[in-house]
Amino acid sequence: MRIVCPFCGERELGEFTYLGDAKPQRPAADAGEEAVYDYVYLRDNVAGVMSEHWYHGGGCRAWLKVTRNTLTHEISAVEPAAGAGAAKVGA
Amino acid sequence: MADFSWDIRSPLDRALTSGPYGAQGEAGVSLTEIRNFGLVQVMARRGKAGEMAKAAKAQFGVAAPETPKAVDTADATLIWSGPDQFLVLSKGGKHTMESLAPGFAGSASLSDQSHARALISVSGGKACAMLAKLSSIDLHPDVFAVGAAAATSMDHTSVTLWRGKDRADRQSVFNLLVFATFAESLWHTILDSAAEYGATIGHSEELA
Ligand SMILES: [Zn+2]
Repeated sequence: MRIVCPFCGERELGEFTYLGDAKPQRPAADAGEEAVYDYVYLRDNVAGVMSEHWYHGGGCRAWLKVTRNTLTHEISAVEPAAGAGAAKVGA
Repeated sequence: MADFSWDIRSPLDRALTSGPYGAQGEAGVSLTEIRNFGLVQVMARRGKAGEMAKAAKAQFGVAAPETPKAVDTADATLIWSGPDQFLVLSKGGKHTMESLAPGFAGSASLSDQSHARALISVSGGKACAMLAKLSSIDLHPDVFAVGAAAATSMDHTSVTLWRGKDRADRQSVFNLLVFATFAESLWHTILDSAAEYGATIGHSEELA
């Protein structure tokens, strides 16, 4: 499997680290225990297209959001995760 | 109380033995450690990449790379090291934290990496073949031309790699920056890879 880093270009899997599901959003501070439990522990076991966070630690050290089919490993989109690259935030 | 003497020495001081290595005959690879260089990391502050670019242009007279490239200035090389960041490589003492900080005040954060990296210059007719065994990047000149750079890994070790201008004898030149504490390990891997081609090993204080 290879990932096309939007900053570096196409690279082998060994340069990347998998973080996991990119969907969960940190709940508001007053959202309650259930919401925090969901956010920390509960994950969908997706068989199909999934949005994931990957880290290009062996390269440019940017966090990426990768859309990948977990059945075929086909990658349909790669974009910088929020905060990857100072220009991408607040600019 | 014990006396400590703090000598500045290369991270490759123990591992590097000048002279020929590996297969005999004409060496296919030259391995030269470059010592006494200055290296400053410049990273844009949040939302200040545009300002940093302007400051870099004012400081060096040329634009800093915004894609994986290495750009030569009159007395430095600016090497892309990730989104909105680059390295300033120069002869020791030329471009320092002190000399760069005023120009980048407010737009970028600087960090001195001069003694945190080892710099290895790899050249010769077999340089590309030797590196191909360590890198998954296509280093053919049609793809990775003079001035191309990459933040990548070799032997599970993060490196900054870029192609320098060809030598006077038109042989390829590659430059490698590696974390000081990983330098010895990568050096041994490089020696293993270079042995079959024959290597000439040395060190220099001249930036290519
Ligand atoms: Zn990257």
